[in-house]
Amino acid sequence: MSKKKLGSFALLLLLILSTALAACSSDTGDGKTEGGKTADGENVKDILVFGRGGDSTSLDPSRVTEGESFKVTVNLYETLLNFGEQDTTINPGLATEWEPSEDGLTYTFKLREGVKFHDGTDFNADAVVKNFERWANGDAEKFPYYNSMFGGFKGDEGHVIDSVTADGDNTVIIKLTRPQAPFLKNIAMSMFAIASPTAFEKGDDEFERNPVGTGPFKFVEWKPNETITIEKFDDYWDEGLPKLKKIIFRSIPDNSARLNALMAGDIELADGINPSDGKAVEDNDKLQLFERPSMNVGYLGLTVTRPPFDKVEVRQAINHAIDKQSIIDSFFEGRADIAKNPMPTSISGYNEDIEGYEYNPEKAKELLKAAGLEDGFEMELWAMPVPRPYMPDGKKVAEVIQKNLADVGITAKIVSHEWATYLELASKGDADAFMLGWTGDNGDADNFLYVLLDEDNIGSNNYTYYKNDKLHDILIAAQTEVDEDKRNELYKEAQEIIHADAPWVPLAHSTPLLGGAKDLTGFLPHPTGSDLLSNVEFK
Amino acid sequence: MSEFVPKADGIAVMKVEKTVGPWREAWNGFKKSKVAVVGMCIVLFFILLAIFGPLIAQEGINDQVLKDRLLPPSSEYWLGTDDLGRDILSRIIYGARISLWVGFFSVIGSVVVGSALGIIAGYYGRWVDTIISRIFDIMLAFPSILLAIAIVSVLGPNLRNALIAIAVINVPNFGRLIRSKVLSIKEDEYITAAKGIGMKDARILVSHILPNSMAPVIVQGTLAIATAILEAAALGFLGLGAQAPMPEWGKMLADSKDFLHSAPWTMIFPGLAIMLTVLGFNLMGDGLRDALDPKMKS
Repeated sequence: MSKKKLGSFALLLLLILSTALAACSSDTGDGKTEGGKTADGENVKDILVFGRGGDSTSLDPSRVTEGESFKVTVNLYETLLNFGEQDTTINPGLATEWEPSEDGLTYTFKLREGVKFHDGTDFNADAVVKNFERWANGDAEKFPYYNSMFGGFKGDEGHVIDSVTADGDNTVIIKLTRPQAPFLKNIAMSMFAIASPTAFEKGDDEFERNPVGTGPFKFVEWKPNETITIEKFDDYWDEGLPKLKKIIFRSIPDNSARLNALMAGDIELADGINPSDGKAVEDNDKLQLFERPSMNVGYLGLTVTRPPFDKVEVRQAINHAIDKQSIIDSFFEGRADIAKNPMPTSISGYNEDIEGYEYNPEKAKELLKAAGLEDGFEMELWAMPVPRPYMPDGKKVAEVIQKNLADVGITAKIVSHEWATYLELASKGDADAFMLGWTGDNGDADNFLYVLLDEDNIGSNNYTYYKNDKLHDILIAAQTEVDEDKRNELYKEAQEIIHADAPWVPLAHSTPLLGGAKDLTGFLPHPTGSDLLSNVEFK
Repeated sequence: MSEFVPKADGIAVMKVEKTVGPWREAWNGFKKSKVAVVGMCIVLFFILLAIFGPLIAQEGINDQVLKDRLLPPSSEYWLGTDDLGRDILSRIIYGARISLWVGFFSVIGSVVVGSALGIIAGYYGRWVDTIISRIFDIMLAFPSILLAIAIVSVLGPNLRNALIAIAVINVPNFGRLIRSKVLSIKEDEYITAAKGIGMKDARILVSHILPNSMAPVIVQGTLAIATAILEAAALGFLGLGAQAPMPEWGKMLADSKDFLHSAPWTMIFPGLAIMLTVLGFNLMGDGLRDALDPKMKS
């Protein structure tokens, strides 16, 4: 009898437990729909759900180099200078006026007055100085992009920024150790956004989860790998902006799932529309298609420190082995140009005269033979797990490359990791060959060639560990050169060196596509991939 | 009644019963079920396909003709092409090899290990039984596919490890089955007799208990092949089984899910292949159970 009682008691317990659990799960379910759009979407539609391929890795833009983070932070923070709406010209931002000195070594910025951070802290010259101090005292691990753009940190030989000082409340003076031609463009990049000193002084790790800036939107919550919610900042200095009340960035890694969500009305804006789905979006009368002005490159990086990729013949052989045209025809539906240089054609300094490695398996085999590898070799081919603007379907393209390599006798094993791990391991030089890409952040050649291929950036953005002293001298000279024509000549020469050394297989410059609801207005996709959404609204 | 039956007939009946062995009898029972025979035919079809596939499939399975990507079924490509311009028919035929290979060998693996553990647990009882049975319980407490994913994550994603994972997750099923069978058999008189004449444990286990507990294992084994194929496809779909460019059915499904609207054939045919094989094994397994299980006999 007692056993029976025990049994029924257990059953009862189980029932209670499962009811409780079920209640829990329905709770989160409700939370989601509320977060979605039904909450008060009935009267005025003022909540935008922006579907994208991946989650941000950090909400402190200075600590990352990765686009999904900037996509959010560009709306949370502001920079001293802004880019144009759809280009990379220099416009006023938190600084209303700026003045370079004659010798190009001193810049004076007049700051906008009456600006407040989301936490109530005043924005002033002091805050700007504190931000620059924070970066200059860091290291490449912590602030990889600062390292790339300003040649190191305080005390380093290559460090460009000599001092940042406040002159009164509303003037900041930045002194450089040497002229830097793209300096103003660098300052306008979203990673050099001015954050609230009160917030980041609480600790970097705390800050990257609770960002505080001066932007049109303020941070609400972050559910990792799910959503990031930001809402209108009521005390924003620009009256009438932003127009939306709330934006929810939702991660939907799968491109077609994201498109389905857009079609179903679960999201109103979708990044990373497959080129093959572009037509379907155009034909759908509830949707509109946006084309992001192209400023990117998708490539296959060859880690030059890992044999046999230390041999230039092997790298050139791989360049000859890959059939880029077929890849572009098949996976980009013509919405991409074949790449031969590490930077897109739209950027000044692009070397038109370079003849790209043509698809020629025979030549590839010859080169492999010259390297003593006529019997081929085995390698790992890393493919990104998430769709990127410069590469809509990395794993599929990897399969084509795998086949191309097999044709010349190279056995490639496709390897993929979770996105953050992928980037981390690749940056440590653990991959033989890895697929990656880059979207320009300031529209300058420096932002491609120096950032991605200079020896200064090994360990931060130069994942191939490619090192060439002559190239380094040219790139540094180009940074310092203020004369536009001379500067372009230097970059052209740099591209020749890179072409000959072949640390990359440049694949494509794509035109990324976005899809949006028909009633969405004011959305202008920015070539950098970080879209300021303060003008967006529903008609 | 028998008294009144003419003698000659009686002898005839006796004779028939004598010549029919247990296996023959099972086969006769199996034959009676049309559904089971259909199942067996499907299974045989896929086995033949796997063995002679390379002769039928002319196109190289990994030949990419990118200009011919996502073509619908036609006289040139009977089942169409996938997104890399590969012939789907060839890939499905080769895929049969992979799936059946994984199905058979993972089940053989779990039968061998499961039987050994089950027999030991059932025959020796006491603490040996407790330990082995609790291990089985623990393993059964996990959803099997989750356990498989965990095993593959530890070992690294490839086909061999997927096979191992599927074998491991099925061990407790066979182990428990055999154990229960052994528990009943070991009380039988012939076992007592064998013990009585001083037969060694090992010999009793191998020559009496094992053969007598095999019938349910065969049934369960056939059904388990079906689940194993499904599990392999699931792992392949999740990217944890066969790796590119292997034409594993689950992986083919995963590769084609983006083209559900624009090129449904890339998904339908591998899906059908999985469905048919699994159906075949299930029907055959049901038929076998009816034929081998004495309780089901009317």
